Amino acid sequence: MSAISEKDNLSEIITVNMGPQHPSTHGVLRLVVDLDGETIVGVRPDIGYLHRGVEKLAEHRTYHQFIPLTDRLDYLSPLSNNLAYCLAVEKFFNVKIPERAEYLRVIFAELARIASHLVWVATHALDIGAMTVFLYAFRERELILDMFEIATGQRMTSSWIRVGGIREDVPPLFFEKLREFVSIFEERVDTYERLLTKNRIWLKRTVGVGKLTKEDALDYGVSGPTMRGSGVDFDLRRDEPYGIYDRFKFEVAVQDSCDIYARYLVRVKEMREANKILQQALEQIPEGPVMTDDPRIQIPSHEDVYEKMEALIRRFYIITKGFTAPKGEAYACVEAPKGELGFYIVSDGDTKPYRLKIRAPSFVNLGAIEAMAKGYMIADLVGIIGSIDIVLGEIDR
Amino acid sequence: MGLMEHKFSDNIITTTVDGVINWARRSSLWPVTFGLACCAIEMMAVGASKYDLDRLGVIFRATPRQADLMIVAGTVTRKMAPVVRKVYDQMPEPKWVIAMGSCATSGGIFNTYSTVQGVDEIVPVDFYIPGCPPRPEALLDAIIALQEKIKGDKVLRK
Amino acid sequence: MTFNDLVAKLTEKFPSKINSYEKFGSKYIVVDRSVAKDLLRSMKYDFGFTYLVDIVAVHWPKRKEKFDVVYNLFSINDKLRVFVKCSIENEKTFTVTDIWKSASFLEREQYDLVGVVFEGHPDLRRILLPEFFEGHPLRKEYPLKGRKWFNNADEQGLGLKFTR
Repeated sequence: MSAISEKDNLSEIITVNMGPQHPSTHGVLRLVVDLDGETIVGVRPDIGYLHRGVEKLAEHRTYHQFIPLTDRLDYLSPLSNNLAYCLAVEKFFNVKIPERAEYLRVIFAELARIASHLVWVATHALDIGAMTVFLYAFRERELILDMFEIATGQRMTSSWIRVGGIREDVPPLFFEKLREFVSIFEERVDTYERLLTKNRIWLKRTVGVGKLTKEDALDYGVSGPTMRGSGVDFDLRRDEPYGIYDRFKFEVAVQDSCDIYARYLVRVKEMREANKILQQALEQIPEGPVMTDDPRIQIPSHEDVYEKMEALIRRFYIITKGFTAPKGEAYACVEAPKGELGFYIVSDGDTKPYRLKIRAPSFVNLGAIEAMAKGYMIADLVGIIGSIDIVLGEIDR
Repeated sequence: MGLMEHKFSDNIITTTVDGVINWARRSSLWPVTFGLACCAIEMMAVGASKYDLDRLGVIFRATPRQADLMIVAGTVTRKMAPVVRKVYDQMPEPKWVIAMGSCATSGGIFNTYSTVQGVDEIVPVDFYIPGCPPRPEALLDAIIALQEKIKGDKVLRK
Repeated sequence: MTFNDLVAKLTEKFPSKINSYEKFGSKYIVVDRSVAKDLLRSMKYDFGFTYLVDIVAVHWPKRKEKFDVVYNLFSINDKLRVFVKCSIENEKTFTVTDIWKSASFLEREQYDLVGVVFEGHPDLRRILLPEFFEGHPLRKEYPLKGRKWFNNADEQGLGLKFTR
């Protein structure tokens, strides 16, 4: 056998396709991976398999008719998307939302955050191999979906938040179930932590894998728990508050080790903090109306429509024709469970927006995957995709 | 079963053998995981502990070569259409397709330049489930209806 | 540093080329195309706007300047959000991928949907739509429904038969 010299480089780079139909890619994502043996040399995402043309559709629908479409963007936490869109449209009018509506919006947003993080922990643990967590997390998620069904009538995509407030008040059974849920949820999170946090297999698979340094995190524009797991202390609820978030006391979870384990710890802490916010909101919520009085955008309630003539005409007019927004541009963003979700609306005085751009957090987070995955093995790629927490409905819109 | 299919007339032996074959096929339907969008989350919820699918014999398989049912859950776009067809072609006979949700049935609310209006333009569909997303009980209803349909299938008989 | 300080310092650096206003709760700086890239570079390195949130391109077919490109910048230390607006006449403009790395995906998306060509981008190709797609859907003259039925046509040329 002749000696193998350094110049005859026998290994070549193989390109492997992790196709659109794959059990661990959380949707229809295609990754073209360049491998040198088992080490990753390059990753190129190929997206667009779920591009439904939502931005183009927005130019042909009135402002109210677009609300159900925002539900289907990040379909794991639909009420956060509604909230972001309604905040952006309300900036055109500068209205005052009634107190009860603000508290209910916060309650729905935090429940949506817990629901999204439960699905994340279930699928991420399932990819890495822990199947029990999947069944436990979905059991808690059923409790939250039951509450959504009592309040809104639909389990997932409910479109309950309207421009100017909320569609209708919630029945008292909702608050009973919420009190029960809030009292048992802390121990359930303790159960997940007991299964995973100090588990030797989990530690070996997640500590030191998928590092994204602090400068890279800011340069690539990642936001949400991915950014906070790399040491950047920034949370839109505390630093650019929207709604009434400045009335609640909660901590922002930040970790410094920049790997998958850090992002896992950040998200578990966020679930506990969301539970705390729910407890405070339950104590402080007042009685009152749930839709604003501003005559430009108010949709009259059902009781008024059955009794007064002007309310009937106004409701018919505003639902069929829609209200007009003044000329100009507006932007609003919220801290969605995946990161910073923003809507940029350009209006030229018509009932439909002229241009609507959705700043999706998962789209920008996915741009950083090459920096996170270079140099690790291909079996780590599954854990890295799970830790960024992408949802394809948002990336492809 | 290729040589013996659809060759015999009805008598007590062939109907009993057909009954056994159909019982085996309908009690262990293995779907291929084809969740595309929001309906996939409802499908995962059906597979979890509250609405259990394992009691019907349904286990999700990742590869189409070992599956005999394809549940298309979510919107199919023009970029994804050849992939759906390739996965369907890779499944061995007998195979069935369930179109779950409004987007797979008829395009749903997305009537735009890049969506296929219904997955039955690409693959032949046995059952359609309306809803956006459909309730988990609706998916269970469709699988039980598919089991009833397989019960009446003629395998050895003409 | 507040918004007015920032505008004062920028007007010293680039006299008579910028304009600023505040409307509907958002702060805008409208800049002339010739100094736009230097202004963005100085915003990142001198004023600390290290986080590029979004790039939006809008098509105005009836105006002389056909496209508007808006950069959404955020400074984490000062908690200040600024929109830098720049109008361009035809569809070619500069790229900011050498300043912020997040611009690579964002510019590819605006090229794909609106058709603005960013010169100097390392890898400008379609990201959301398939390769064989023709046209740019978010332009105002593109119709909402491109084609009525899928027509069982093998449009990607892969040799598949979409028959029953």
